Amino acid sequence: MKHFLSFLVVVFAGLFLALFIKSSRDPSKETKPVLRVFASSSFIAQWGPGPWLRTQFEQTCDCRVEFFDGADSTILMQRLKSEARVGADIVLGFDQYDLEMAKAGINWKTISVQNLEFEDDAKPAMSSAEFVPFDFGVMSFVFRKSELPQFPKTLDDFLKPEWKGQIAMQDPRTSSPGLQFLLWLIQVRGEDGAWEYLKKFNPQVKAYSTSWSMAYGLFTKGQAATVFSYTTSPVYHKVEEKNLDVVAVELNEGHPLQFEFMGIPANCQNCELAQKFADLVLSKDGQKVIMEKNYMFPVIKGVKDGTIFAEIPPYKLRPYESVPSQAERERLLRKWSALRRME
Amino acid sequence: MFAAFFESVKYVGHLVPLSFLRVFLGYTYLQAALLKFNADYLTRPRLAGEIAEILPTLQAPLWYKNVIETIFIPHWQTFAFIVVALEFAIAISYLLGYVVRPIAILAALMALNQLVLAGPGHDDLPRLLMATHLLLAWIGAGRCLGFDYYFFKRRRGIWW
Repeated sequence: MKHFLSFLVVVFAGLFLALFIKSSRDPSKETKPVLRVFASSSFIAQWGPGPWLRTQFEQTCDCRVEFFDGADSTILMQRLKSEARVGADIVLGFDQYDLEMAKAGINWKTISVQNLEFEDDAKPAMSSAEFVPFDFGVMSFVFRKSELPQFPKTLDDFLKPEWKGQIAMQDPRTSSPGLQFLLWLIQVRGEDGAWEYLKKFNPQVKAYSTSWSMAYGLFTKGQAATVFSYTTSPVYHKVEEKNLDVVAVELNEGHPLQFEFMGIPANCQNCELAQKFADLVLSKDGQKVIMEKNYMFPVIKGVKDGTIFAEIPPYKLRPYESVPSQAERERLLRKWSALRRME
Repeated sequence: MFAAFFESVKYVGHLVPLSFLRVFLGYTYLQAALLKFNADYLTRPRLAGEIAEILPTLQAPLWYKNVIETIFIPHWQTFAFIVVALEFAIAISYLLGYVVRPIAILAALMALNQLVLAGPGHDDLPRLLMATHLLLAWIGAGRCLGFDYYFFKRRRGIWW
């Protein structure tokens, strides 16, 4: 016991000392300007595009890049507001549903995107000069083709008895893909038609998970036969697992798009560096890394040419319509919750 | 003491494969601790952010949620320090084979925490880690190719 306690005391004291020495050396680092980047976890994770972008940027900027983890887009917005005193220079990772909230609480600068040629599918998301998309995904249902004798062709096919309890979905109150699905239904069927459809669809759902990764986990573990995800998800299985069995289905109704945006707050401290970082994100090299690490489509033309992403067939897309206001979304979500409670 | 380190192979040679597992785990914990030490884990509220993200969907007893909300999150700096220090302690203990039994029990408790915080769908790794730590504690994995053998030979008892 004496040995154990002494050992713990030595380790704790050693760490305390090491921290003290580290912090006393830190001021020399701060002579360089620091670019503060707020981003989602998937962006700054070791396996994400963030570390590569940081290394590339620090080689030329004579500055230091500091990442702030915003988890998902909702928490990113909360952290951005709660840590306003830290002062973000650039924010990456909110989707089209966060833009209204972002505009309401914070002023943003215009991001210059001159001389860049955007993909046609990404152009509808370029309506705001303050928020520029840096990647996008096409939403669909993902399957293991070996388990399916026949692919579904319409949303109605998911109401067949063989799908009962087989679909992994995301909760629209906590997850952006879940909200995408709900708004997609309303776009395709009208509001009344969407609720009617959901009444029949809900028994088919294995679980409404709080996040995309949890829902996808149900699919990869074989607990669900399909999951609402991205058409690029099969590419992940091809590249990382050499698994050709996973496919995304094309439905006659057309598929919704999800964009990830970046913005530069008006109160940025290193605004010029932030613009340069945005330039790097939208450069062909930056876009290629984002595409390969996040498994999302690049927004800049020509980046995916010659890659496995170019092999993904073009899906029929739904027109990118204006996003319903936050109040309207809250009304829809209340109705969705009420429908779930009635089951 | 160093002679005993290698002498252990002669008497508890059947534990050599477990020693490799112990050293591998020690190295993994060392990497994790160094990563946290060199990054901003101790200076920015990363731990609090991670926990705050999980909290609304956490399937845990109410008292545990309360402890997290009222103690962990406001005092994130202290807990981040404890987490990193414990990871260093596990790493050093496992690499040297010193006080492995009590440290493995601490490591299992840490893995139990991770298990609760991971939530359904992400709990495989903490579950496996917890079982491995308990196994190392049960066997006394520091007795082979570790300094625990030296003390075990002289003092016996459950700590080695």
